Amino acid sequence: MSASGDAGLELRRLGREVGGRRLLDGLDLTVAPGECLALLGPSGCGKSTTLRLVAGLDPASTGQVLLDGGDLTPLSPGERQVAMVFQSYALYPHLSVEGNLELGLKVRGVAAAERQRRLGAVLELLQLAELRQRRPAQLSGGQRQRVALARALLRQPRIMLLDEPMSNLDAQLREELRPELRRLVCGREQPVIYVTHDQQEAVGMADRIALLDGGRMQQVGSPRELYADPANRFVAAFLGRPAINLLAVAPGRQLGLRPEHLHLAEEGPVEARLLRREWWGHQQLLWLDSPWGPVRVLCGPEQPLPAEPRLGWQRQHELWFDPLSGARLHGQGPV
Amino acid sequence: MRLLVLLWSLGPLLWQLRTSLLRPEALLAPLLEGNPWTLANYRLVLSGDPPFWRYLGNSTLVALATTVLTLLLAVPCAYGLQQQRGLLRWGVGLGLVAAAMVPTVLLFLALLEIARRFDLANDLFALSLPYAGLSLPLAVLLLRAAFGDLPAELEDAARLEGLGLGQRLRHVLLPLMGPALASTGILVFLASWNEYAIALTWISRNDLLTLPIAIARIGGGSVFTIPYGAFAAATVMGSLPLLLLVLLAQRPIVSGLTRGAVKG
Repeated sequence: MSASGDAGLELRRLGREVGGRRLLDGLDLTVAPGECLALLGPSGCGKSTTLRLVAGLDPASTGQVLLDGGDLTPLSPGERQVAMVFQSYALYPHLSVEGNLELGLKVRGVAAAERQRRLGAVLELLQLAELRQRRPAQLSGGQRQRVALARALLRQPRIMLLDEPMSNLDAQLREELRPELRRLVCGREQPVIYVTHDQQEAVGMADRIALLDGGRMQQVGSPRELYADPANRFVAAFLGRPAINLLAVAPGRQLGLRPEHLHLAEEGPVEARLLRREWWGHQQLLWLDSPWGPVRVLCGPEQPLPAEPRLGWQRQHELWFDPLSGARLHGQGPV
Repeated sequence: MRLLVLLWSLGPLLWQLRTSLLRPEALLAPLLEGNPWTLANYRLVLSGDPPFWRYLGNSTLVALATTVLTLLLAVPCAYGLQQQRGLLRWGVGLGLVAAAMVPTVLLFLALLEIARRFDLANDLFALSLPYAGLSLPLAVLLLRAAFGDLPAELEDAARLEGLGLGQRLRHVLLPLMGPALASTGILVFLASWNEYAIALTWISRNDLLTLPIAIARIGGGSVFTIPYGAFAAATVMGSLPLLLLVLLAQRPIVSGLTRGAVKG
């Protein structure tokens, strides 16, 4: 999905090794101008490492970071024109909101009039004008996040990096802020990388998702591609809640069926016994026992249960994996 | 209970103050008898030649020079050390602890030789060199810990904004280390203020003596009369600048403690 020519951000065989431990292993990735890519994965998967390598905060052991065809790898963080919003926001506690925003401009020698103009614009955009004299300690979590974002935007960056920018906010605020964040950050001309461990956030923020595990890229694609056509068992299990059922149906083959693709009926290929029922309002989750192991089924809240339920599904929803390597096996399996 | 602790800490100081205000003969008299108060001890100390203020000035000068020099050297050392990882940082840290524990007594003969060789005797600024050297290990250790307490992302953010090392120290790191700098500075100042052995051997000119030496030289009429009152008066006056220093530094330290609670 590389954009026309060399435009955008390209990571080429990017790797980092510390003390013999491989944190990131030959990552290839492109982000088009204006595109928002979510870097998703469990903690320790290498997503923050990737971000730090793009920012230049840590040196790469192998590979290159290219922006619009130019090599950023030898440049210092300050020279890369990269902005980053940190998980902790990293606001300077001793400076006011204004001071936090101005420091970078001052140091780079931007003239006072120009500084005021840009500061005014960004304060306006993020509705921070009234808070400009406050210290970070006097701000709420959401306000701090806005200041951190303002500081990043003020940089007029060529690349925008966001490192779990919402993980310090409570769930409700997070959901409220997501569209605002998207509006402010995405759809400008610079590529955006958004690091998160939360798949909902990734789906909500990003055009494409890159899923990492153990320092390796597992799959890149739209949320729909990753959900419907996972490259391997890790991808299948990481995306989708409640998680996919992995059933040992035959030696050497493992069947993945998502809870929302299973249904219960009088007739069906596999028998099941109901253990527990979780009622969520718009749906209910059924915990069942089957000859292939425990199974979760997601169905409508009012769906009646047969006395002797049997599991059924459509063959198009079957995902087959190698039980040892977790690799995706294409073609249909025996049932 | 609080009163008891307060008395425990302040008792000796108050006793010193009382001694400094008593006539010599009243020292041995029962408590609260007659009207023994006098300022004679202070008059005696202040009328010396050179006047007592001179020694106060000397000590202040040496202590200030020592503190400034120590902090100037310790800040970059501490920052550099904090940037290191693993064995190197641990090893250097251990070496600094060892250096901080070497007793001065073992050094002062060697230091005397150095002073003679490089003509450093009878020079107050030169005296701050060994003082700074002796204070440096502890100062580096304290400041390294303070650098370590700052969130690493703060400096990362500053690096991304294009701040060079000097700018990061000046605009971001050091302003946040006010409390650590103040307390380290006070420790260094105190060590220099109280130092005896090196000052005794490096300074011989009467008008350049530092306080501890000057106080020790206050003599009585004979070896059998010890001028307790004069000692006490000199000690009280010698402590006043320290009191002032701590009172001044108290505010940044306390306000810094509460500011440290801020996350991000």
